Amino acid sequence: MIRFGYIIISIAFFLIVCGITSSVPAAPMSRQLQAQAGVERFPPPDFVESGYELPSPTTPHPRQNIYEYVDAVVLLAALGLASYLVLKKRSRRAILTLSVFSLFYFGFWRKGCVCSIGAIQNIVLSIFDRDYAVPFVVVVFFLLPLVFTLFFGRTFCAAVCPLGAVQDLVLLRPVAVPSWLESGLRLFAYAYLGAAVLFAATGSAFIICRYDPFISFFRLSGSLNILVLGGCFLLVGVFIGRPYCRFFCPYGVILRQLSRLSKWRVSITPDDCIKCRLCEDSCPFGAIKVPTAEWPARDYDKSKKRLALLLLLLPILILACAWAVSTASDLMSRTHPTVRLADRIHLEETGKEEETTDASAAFWATGKEMSESFMQRPRISRPQLKPAAGSSEDFWDWSLLLSLLAILSGEQG
Amino acid sequence: MGLVIALKLIGHSVRRTRIDYEADRAGCLACGRCFEYCPREHVRLNKDKQAVGDGALGRNNDSVEVKTTNQWYQTAFWSAVVSAVFSLIVVGFLMVNYLQIKVFDPVRAERLELLKLKIIDHPDDVLFVQIRKLDLQIRQDRIRRQNFSYRASFLLLGGLAVFVISAKLAVTFKKKPPRPQPYPDRQKEQIRQAIQARSTITVGLAVLGAAVLFFATRPVVDFSEEPPQKGVWPRFRGLGGLGISASTNVPDNWNGSTNEGILWKSKVPLPGHNSPIVWGDRVFLSGADANERQVYCFDALSGKLLWRGNVPNLAPAGAEPVEPGESTGFAAPTMVTDGRRVYAIFATGDVGCFDFSGKTVWARNLGSPDSAYGYASSLAMYRDLLLVQYDQGAAEDEKSKLIALNAFLGHTVWETRRPIPNSWTSPIVIEVSSRHQIITCGDPWVIAYDPNGAELWRADCLGADVAPSPIYAGGLVFAIEPYTKLVAIKPDGRGDVTKTHIVWSNEEGAPDICSPVSNGELIFLLTTDGLLICLQVTDGTKLWEEDLKEDFFASPSLIGDRLYLLSQKGVMFIIEAATEYKELARCELREDCHASPAFVDGRIYIRGTKNLYCIGNLD
Repeated sequence: MIRFGYIIISIAFFLIVCGITSSVPAAPMSRQLQAQAGVERFPPPDFVESGYELPSPTTPHPRQNIYEYVDAVVLLAALGLASYLVLKKRSRRAILTLSVFSLFYFGFWRKGCVCSIGAIQNIVLSIFDRDYAVPFVVVVFFLLPLVFTLFFGRTFCAAVCPLGAVQDLVLLRPVAVPSWLESGLRLFAYAYLGAAVLFAATGSAFIICRYDPFISFFRLSGSLNILVLGGCFLLVGVFIGRPYCRFFCPYGVILRQLSRLSKWRVSITPDDCIKCRLCEDSCPFGAIKVPTAEWPARDYDKSKKRLALLLLLLPILILACAWAVSTASDLMSRTHPTVRLADRIHLEETGKEEETTDASAAFWATGKEMSESFMQRPRISRPQLKPAAGSSEDFWDWSLLLSLLAILSGEQG
Repeated sequence: MGLVIALKLIGHSVRRTRIDYEADRAGCLACGRCFEYCPREHVRLNKDKQAVGDGALGRNNDSVEVKTTNQWYQTAFWSAVVSAVFSLIVVGFLMVNYLQIKVFDPVRAERLELLKLKIIDHPDDVLFVQIRKLDLQIRQDRIRRQNFSYRASFLLLGGLAVFVISAKLAVTFKKKPPRPQPYPDRQKEQIRQAIQARSTITVGLAVLGAAVLFFATRPVVDFSEEPPQKGVWPRFRGLGGLGISASTNVPDNWNGSTNEGILWKSKVPLPGHNSPIVWGDRVFLSGADANERQVYCFDALSGKLLWRGNVPNLAPAGAEPVEPGESTGFAAPTMVTDGRRVYAIFATGDVGCFDFSGKTVWARNLGSPDSAYGYASSLAMYRDLLLVQYDQGAAEDEKSKLIALNAFLGHTVWETRRPIPNSWTSPIVIEVSSRHQIITCGDPWVIAYDPNGAELWRADCLGADVAPSPIYAGGLVFAIEPYTKLVAIKPDGRGDVTKTHIVWSNEEGAPDICSPVSNGELIFLLTTDGLLICLQVTDGTKLWEEDLKEDFFASPSLIGDRLYLLSQKGVMFIIEAATEYKELARCELREDCHASPAFVDGRIYIRGTKNLYCIGNLD
């Protein structure tokens, strides 16, 4: 039975942590900064008639760097505690309590940023763009859960990820998703990861952050479209367990592969399984594998032939998909702001668009020639996207290795 | 993706056996829900409790013997219902608030903008108070709505939190014990699931592939497309300022007395000698007198005056009023357009920019030009630069300059001083060896600038009051010294090219006002008193001349293989552009004309001293 007490404890702990961290005095603004802040770009009007005096504006202090390390420490502590609770203590209630704390801290207090899921893009961008310096806390948020997964399984998903926590909390009447459907739906996560890596590598967009469905909830404001998207996910999540985690999460794709290799992992029973079948329908995420019956001999023969055919088709499939994606490179390049700007300027130049946008007006105001934006566009749309397709193949080579290891270790895909 | 799909298919083809119930290594999210279902887990917990001796055995056993309902179930259920209703009500209020922000507030903001525009033309204290009141009301409402949105979000969060907690408690209190169903035929089930999984993945591959190919075939901007040549006459003497049009089906027969061939005629409110410019279905003119400066937009199909825009007098206080010559007037310079906005300059130095709906984008004053007959140089454009040839006073006054304004915002991008006295020519932009040059004429220099304002070359070959504008044809720049000569210059030099790049000079007479026109092989000059001269481009040899016995202020135009020459009395001479003189037609308009006509899409737009005419064929 879920006790109020555990929830109260987690909220209280969260408030204590926030209280401690917010009691650290913020760095005062330097005099130079203050002087600069006082120079106004748009001077206020003089209220000569009424004599009204404008109140002095307050400038919020920037967040101190120490808080980044606090976040990293909290993450480490949460991961460690989650691993302990899952593997050693084996307490559902404690895991739930920790996930509520994570939801409040990493979700509402830190407003969903930095998150490990979005950190993929920062890491990828830093690899492909030498001018981009990835912050330390982003590296920690990306690596720590991976390390813990390698040793302890998906304990990050269990009780630390705020996106998973909010979905877990709204799960009320779980409906089982057929395994064949789940297998097909999971393809979206791979496609999403590939697209996120591609667009991050080319510096086009951080689509994971842009389409984070729960960010509007965490920040209590945001785009209506994203709010509606998050609402839909939560509504679906009432019946289907963690839909974003299972079918869309790009970070989950990486965690899936790593958890196949984990040294320690979750086991349903702390002892030998007695096949009582009581746990068969206990998992709302369809993650319990039932014992298999003997496969018929003719099925083995068919499977061998099918396997041989698939192995032969493997390079063809890879090439076919790479070709298909490369045909869409022109359209995909439109996610890059420079390419979009060049499009817009060309449309304005040829008279197909009469109005200007903020971006095009700003470009015209720089006095640059249009050829400067055009020269950038081919450099981005061709060289950056095609090698990025190749770089995504590097990524898939890595997942190939892990998947092959998983197959060898006796798991199905 | 291909690799992933192939590996998934391979995975579903590999036959593995499993003896126990296991958590999926990859898919298990370690939530721990399955722990309490395992009897072994409860044995372990009870052993732990005995070892610890905390006496909490009875309470923990609640999870083993789950009651079908709990006395708190009703409380949890109704809490969930009430909190859900509360949350829905808050959502409703938030939606109403959102609608007000997105739908109703912009309407009031638009009303405020209209009032602000109105007060510019008609300053009024009552209007002023009305604007202030409306502005304050809008701001107050906006802040109130934002505050409401902020507070309601917290209420909604609280309501949802209570709902989730209550609902989860209700579900827990009503939890039923697990009842495993009879064993299905496991073998058949496995095979069926494997087949279905493979099929789903294959369908998924097809769907993803179709989606990618669909998006790949979506149209994208074609960068090879050049800006449109037809349908526009964007500046003085058309594209490039050369007086040439590739238009076909241009009429060669009309009569102003009977209105035959005249599609429409519209009165132009204020006078001006500037030529009409055309972009698509819009025709633009400017007009001015000592008090007003206006830009007009006509519908090209019907001739209806769509809007008129006022260019304010922005001359500094105390500036002496400009008094241009009567033959020049206040609106001699022709406008220019880039298809998005139109730009006009007047003899007072006022420059105005309007968008195609008539809204003023910007306006400024360049200073009253010191011009003997009145400022008359037409505007030109290079990409996003508005080029103003602002020649004034005497050369030693050093007042003359070539100015480049940012077309979108109106600020000066660069200006270059010119060693030229006042002139009445207009600049043209040409392309030589893939680089653009701005060609200008004055006394005594023909000077070429690059688009950044730096001088490229100059040739000392002109004199007197230079009014005819230069042209570029057959790889040569042609410039005219009034009454005296036509000069042909190679534009690929640097510095002073007087001695090296003047190819030829014909000194058998030249126009004083009209600019020349050329098809690259022949060049045609038209003097004010009606002498039409044809020369060879290669060496300036005169082939023929013909006295048309009329006065001409409008520059000649070359449409296809025909010359169109509009006399001061409104008579259009249509001459074959050939090595021998041949008149093809004469058409009378019955109204004096000073401005050069525009030729677009088989129509001719002629500005008379009072009206704007559209000549064309009805079909």
